[in-house]
Order: sequence, then structure tokens, then C-alpha cells
Amino acid sequence: MVFTTQIFVFYFLPLFLLVYYNLPRGWRNVWITLASYVFYGWWEPWFSGLMLLTTVMDFVWGGVITRPGATQAQRKAAVLACVATNLGLLGFFKYYMFAAETLNQLLAAAGATQFAVMQVVLPVGISFYTFHSLTYIIDLYRGDATPAKSFSGFSAFVALFPDLVAGPIIRYKTLAEQLRERDHTVSRFSSGVSIFIAGFAKKIILANPCGKVADASFSAADPLALDAWVGVLAYTFQIYFDFCGYSDMAVGLGRMLGFEFTRNFDSPYRSESITELWRRWHISLSNVLRDYLYIALGGNRKGEGRTYFNLAVVMILGGLWHGAKWNFVLWGAFHGSLLAFERWRGKRSAYDRLPGPLRIGLTFLLMMLSWVLFRADNLGAAMDFYQAMFGLRPAGIVSPLLDSIIHTPYHVVILAACAALVFQPLQAHDWAERPVTWGKTAMLIPLFVFSLVVMVSQDFNPFLYFQF
Amino acid sequence: MNRARDPRWLLILIFLGIIGIVPLIQTALEIRDEEGVRAMEVFGQFPTAASLRAYERRLEEASWATKVTRPWIQFAHFAFLRDGGTKCAIGLDGWYFYKPSLNYMLERPVIRKTVDPLNDPFTAIADFRDQLAARGIQLVVMPVPNKESVYPDKVTPRMRNSGGVRTHRTQDLLRRLRTANVEVIDLFDHFQQLRKQPSAASEKPLYLAQDTHWSPAGVAHAAKIVSRRLMQLGWIQPGRVDYAERLAPVRRLGDVLRMLQAPLIERRVTPEAVPCVQVVRLDNGQPYAHAGDAEILVLGDSFMRIYQQDEPMSAGFISHLAKELKQPLMAVVNDGGGSTLVRQELRGTPALLRNKKVVLWEFVERDIGLGLHGWQKVALPPDSQRPSPPTASNSTGN
Repeated sequence: MVFTTQIFVFYFLPLFLLVYYNLPRGWRNVWITLASYVFYGWWEPWFSGLMLLTTVMDFVWGGVITRPGATQAQRKAAVLACVATNLGLLGFFKYYMFAAETLNQLLAAAGATQFAVMQVVLPVGISFYTFHSLTYIIDLYRGDATPAKSFSGFSAFVALFPDLVAGPIIRYKTLAEQLRERDHTVSRFSSGVSIFIAGFAKKIILANPCGKVADASFSAADPLALDAWVGVLAYTFQIYFDFCGYSDMAVGLGRMLGFEFTRNFDSPYRSESITELWRRWHISLSNVLRDYLYIALGGNRKGEGRTYFNLAVVMILGGLWHGAKWNFVLWGAFHGSLLAFERWRGKRSAYDRLPGPLRIGLTFLLMMLSWVLFRADNLGAAMDFYQAMFGLRPAGIVSPLLDSIIHTPYHVVILAACAALVFQPLQAHDWAERPVTWGKTAMLIPLFVFSLVVMVSQDFNPFLYFQF
Repeated sequence: MNRARDPRWLLILIFLGIIGIVPLIQTALEIRDEEGVRAMEVFGQFPTAASLRAYERRLEEASWATKVTRPWIQFAHFAFLRDGGTKCAIGLDGWYFYKPSLNYMLERPVIRKTVDPLNDPFTAIADFRDQLAARGIQLVVMPVPNKESVYPDKVTPRMRNSGGVRTHRTQDLLRRLRTANVEVIDLFDHFQQLRKQPSAASEKPLYLAQDTHWSPAGVAHAAKIVSRRLMQLGWIQPGRVDYAERLAPVRRLGDVLRMLQAPLIERRVTPEAVPCVQVVRLDNGQPYAHAGDAEILVLGDSFMRIYQQDEPMSAGFISHLAKELKQPLMAVVNDGGGSTLVRQELRGTPALLRNKKVVLWEFVERDIGLGLHGWQKVALPPDSQRPSPPTASNSTGN
């Protein structure tokens, strides 16, 4: 189920809240779990079975790791087995086809016989809930968390529908206490409503129209340079407002249930360097990669060279986490290289002596260039698109027709609004966080109604981050 | 604090009120209309991805909120932001274009490692040609150019000086068909030539401004081109039925605008004056009618239907081709089904092939990529059935 659909907003959410707030506190986690399985199974019912299987498995492994009297070797074996199983499932569903097709290409290049590649359906959000579970297991092993006391609490943590399919990635230790005891206050609920509405509007009013422009531009055979740039600009805004909007909705829904989730975005496009940008973009993923991968690889404790290497490895794996394509590997390598370069310069960008607005502009430009890899269907298409952007590829004879699809007044207004919003200092999340006043209520309600009206009228409502 | 004076409570209550009231009104309306509560249908089916998607789609389509608000949003987008949604691209000088058709021209074709047996135009056409040849029937293929191909200058000022553009996808298919000796009548070249003649281009556009289809002028020109080619090939001899023309102007709100399903837009836009020319028999003054024993069978989509089966009737391509050839024809027409469905209909009525010398198969250019039900091979029943000749009422159309 997607937050920005009628089935969620008009049926699932009111019914869920109605039951939730009429249940005794002790039953609320059970209700969260049940409802979350319905929410997740809405895509494909067997996905819920897979999630239940991994949840049971991780709960049992957690018990083994923390079993009184367990030796260090036993604990280590248990955590390795658990991590291997989780990553094995993730690897099979997400990377099997990629690996098999790559192997086939190599076989073809060597003149050997290729084999049939089994078609594997990718369960949406598997990358997110696998990471949720892994944080539990690893934190238990490290002694950073205590084992879940009840299966209902643990399954509610894994399945928790607000952050299930697109994050923020929340560690068990962050939520453990809240799962046991959390406050349901008017202030928290109302601030949840505020943030939910802000995220909802970002997604519906801004991200979706940008997506139309980006789709038209990226699917065009040989776009003109201007149209290619407009396309990647639109995608740069789409992915931000789509993902940030969804994260805001997740945070808002969490608050309606009494939870406090970590914030996932902090004005990333106002960053003055790539290092800064990665502190502001998908913050929960950056934190997980830092704490569970970068530090595990040695972080910056093993010398300069190793630090750069670690940064590159983390970003390449981070890229691969987003999808099983060479595009994502290259995207990760691009960012890893930039991070390593800036680290070598003392966490300063190559353009840190320029005025602030130029630093922001150049960082934004680098991000735009990297999004081409993220959006293009494959590496070949990405290279074609780069060539189109820089006029290195002749535009197709029909390409000027793209003008009528992407350069409409509607899209110009939306792109201008996006630009104004991402570069101005007050972010919607911050604004929504502030105490609810009459004035704010008078703005939020019409915004919500308008967003709903647009939502029920839209016939284009993709969500980008499910594929990851 | 008094709840009534607390903005937090107000925000919460209104939020919950909005998300709660919409489904309650929906349910009340469905109970009033004795339709049964759609939301409850989810419990009456085994949950699969397909059934859940269908259920969700049904809910959205039946939603009163959608029905009430969508026309207004569509209108606002159209009138103030020049945005026609997923169906309509707003061109220049009051011209509107079908966006999927533009997408067909612009999009990078999907490169497949193997031929898709259910969606390969070349294979389907060549196979059909061979099946007809085995019955002694000639096939003529006539892809009707997209409106955007012929009038790119009406799409965007960037193409102001262009008299026509053709996408590589179409060119490739036509080249392959010709290499395989399939008889193809390419109207695009002819239309381009016609547009270069100032009077034809400026006074009588070959396509309607508000519609995806051709104009009466386009119809008449196409009929002349096809007739000339059939005569050249010697596959058909002129008949002995004389037809006359009768002016039958109509006003027509284009299908591109109707696809927006927004009455406010339909009210705002003036329907286009369409100077149709009806074809009538010279001997009795009756409008053109098909004949079951005709030598030519026309298969086609809505380009064959327009003016012919809808108002003013008998003024479409088929009537004009009959006039040029001096003989009635037979036709199977399926809106949007030029790629596969029309042949499937023919398979269901093989008697239509009796006495035929030529099958003229028309489809619109965009269907090369967007054909409804793809481009499947359709096996015709064995010729040995020798069915009895059909009557004119066998002619089908949607």
C-alpha cells in the first residue's frame, strides 16, 4: 500500500487509528503488527509470509545470541549465521538476476553457453526491513541493545508500517523503549498530522509532476541538450520531494502512534559540499552505513589510504543497496570518490573558496550529474543521456516534439516552486515541527484538502523508493 | 486547556474528519443507490496482487471524491496551465494532440534479445500476407501517419518550419515490410507533398485540429492515393457503380478533448466545423453501403470509422475509396484494434473473405508500438470451409 492513495488515506488509516486508540495499550503492538502485514501484503500477499519468516528467524537468533551462558564463539557463530541468512535472502531476491545476467554476459564474451536466468520478483522494501532486522541482531551482539521481551514487540518493530518500505531506517535500540512504553499526547499527534500533511503535499503537488517531466525526458530516444537538462533537473527535484515527502509522512504517522522516528532529510540541496550533503540526505541510511559498515571496516582508524578505500567501498555498497544494476555501482563509486577526495582535502570541497551560493550550486550540479546514473534504465542509456546533456550526441529528428510535453506552463511553475523550496532556509519539516497554532492550522487544512483533491485527480502517482 | 480553543485539537479533528468522512459518504451513497458497499468487496475474494489492484482501481473509479473533483482539476490544468494530463498535449493555433501518440514518436524503443511473438508487427503482417496469398488474396498495408508526424509544426514552435517528421521505428518497419515484398501504401510521403502545396496546407488541413483523426480532406486524398495504387498494381479493375458527392458538414468536438472527461473543458472549447462530404449512389441517391460480395475487404481502426459509421455516415474513407473505384467494398472496423483485434474479428467471420481479391489493412502509425493486444499472429480458418457469401449486414464496427 502507498500512503498517497485513496485506499490508504480514506480506508486503511482511519480504520487503523479507530481501532488503535480503542484498544488497551497492551494490544496496540499486536494491532500494529497485524495492520502492517495487511499494509505490506497489499502489494503481493506472499511478501507478508516472507517478512514473517525472517522476523521469526531473527527473533530466535536474537534469543540465541543473548542466551545466558552462551560463549563468545557461540554468539559470534549465531550473529554470523543470522547476518548471512538475512543477506542471503536479500541477495537472492535483489541480486540473483543481476549476478546471473552478468555471468551470462561474461560467458557470452568467452564464447561459452549461457544459462536460463530464473525470473525473481523483488519484494518491495526488503532492503529496508532487512536492515531493520540486522541492526537488532548486530546491536544485540555488540551489547548495544537488550533482546526483545515479546515477539509482538519485535514483530511490530520489523513490520511497523510507517517506516516499513521506505524508511527512515530505524534501529531497534532507538525504538525498543518506545515499543514498551510511549506517550500518546495531543501535541505529538497534532505535530504528526502537521508533518504528515507536509510530506503528503510534497509528494502529491511537487514530486509527481516533476516525475512526469523526468520520465518524458529520460525515455526520449535522443533528447535535445536543453530537454535533457530539464529532465535531470526535474528528476533531482522528484527524487527529493518523493523520498523526503515519504519520510515526512512516515515520521508523521509514527508520531500519531506515539513514536519518535529520526529525521531523514535536512535541506540536502543547500549543502556546500558532497560531504555535507551526505550528512543531510537519507540520514538514517548514512548512519547505518557508517555505524555498521564503515566502522566495521576500520573507519578512519587504519590510516589515510584505508580511510579513502573504506569510504569508496561503503558508497559503492550503498549504491548497490539501492539497486542491482551497474548504474548504482557507478553512482556509489562517483560519490565514494568525491567523499574520499574531500576527505583528502580536510573535508573541504574543491570549490570551498568560492562564495556560498556558488558552493551550493556546484554541489547541486554534482548531485544532478549523479542522478543520471540513478534514473537511467541502464548504463548505456545513462551514457547516451550524458552525451545528450553535453551536446555530444545529435538530437533525433522528432526530439523537438518533447517541448510540448515538458515545457508546459504547469511544469515551469512546479519546477520553479521546487527550486524556491529546496534552496530557501525554512524546511517544511522544521515548520511542521513547530507548535501548532491557529495560523498554522489555517494553512495546513487547506493544504491537505488541496493535496487530496489533486491526489484523487492524478493518474500518475509513482513512488520511487519502493524499488530500492 | 479548553479543547474548543486549542488549535491542536482543531487540526486533529479536521484531519480525522476529512479522512473519515470521505469513505462514510461513499458508503452512504452506495447504500442509497443499492449498489452494495464496494469497500466490503475485499472480503469476498481471495487476495492476490491482481485482485487487490483491481479492487483498489474499482474503489478509485467509483469514488465520489474523484468524480466531483477531477473535472475541476482537469479544467484548471487545461485552462490555466496548458496541461492536458496523460492524454492531451496542447499544441499551437487551437490544435490538440494525443499524448501517447507523441510518446510513441519520442520514446526509445525497447530492445529485446528475441522477437516477442505476441507483439511483433513485422511477423504478424508478413504472416497475414502469406495466409491471404494462400487464398489468392492480395494484401495492401496502409499505416495512417500520426497527426504529429504530418503536423509537427502545430505541436511546437520548435518545428515551425517542418512539414513532417517520421520516427525511426516507423521507417524501420516499413523498410522491412518492403524488403519482404509486402505492398505498403505510405501516406506520409503523399501527405508531405500535399502540405508543400500552399493552398492545400493552409486551407484544407489533412487532420482535424481537435481530434486524433484525419479531416475530410485527408480522407479524400487518401482514397485517391489508394485507388490509384490499386489500379497501378492491376489488382482491381474499376467497377460500374457511379457515386456522387453531397456536402454534409458537421460540428465535432475532438476526441482528444473528450478524453479529458471534463465537461467544463467541453463547454469552453468550440466544436470544430468539419466539412464532410457524403458519398451517395448516383442511381438512387442512397448513401454508400457495403456489399458482401465486394472484391475488396477493408480492415481498420477508428480512421475507417470516422465519418463512415458516425455522423454524417457514408462520408469516411471507405465510401470515398468506393467512389474512386466505382464499386462498393466490405469492411471490418475495430476502434483501436487495428493491430490484432480486427484480424481476430475476421477469423470469427471468415465468410467475409469469400470472393475477395484484395484486403486493405489500415492501422494508425502509433499502433506499431501501442497496438491494443499487441501484434499477434492470427490464424485464419482453412479455406476449404467454403462458407456462403455474407450479406452487407455482416460488416462490423464498434
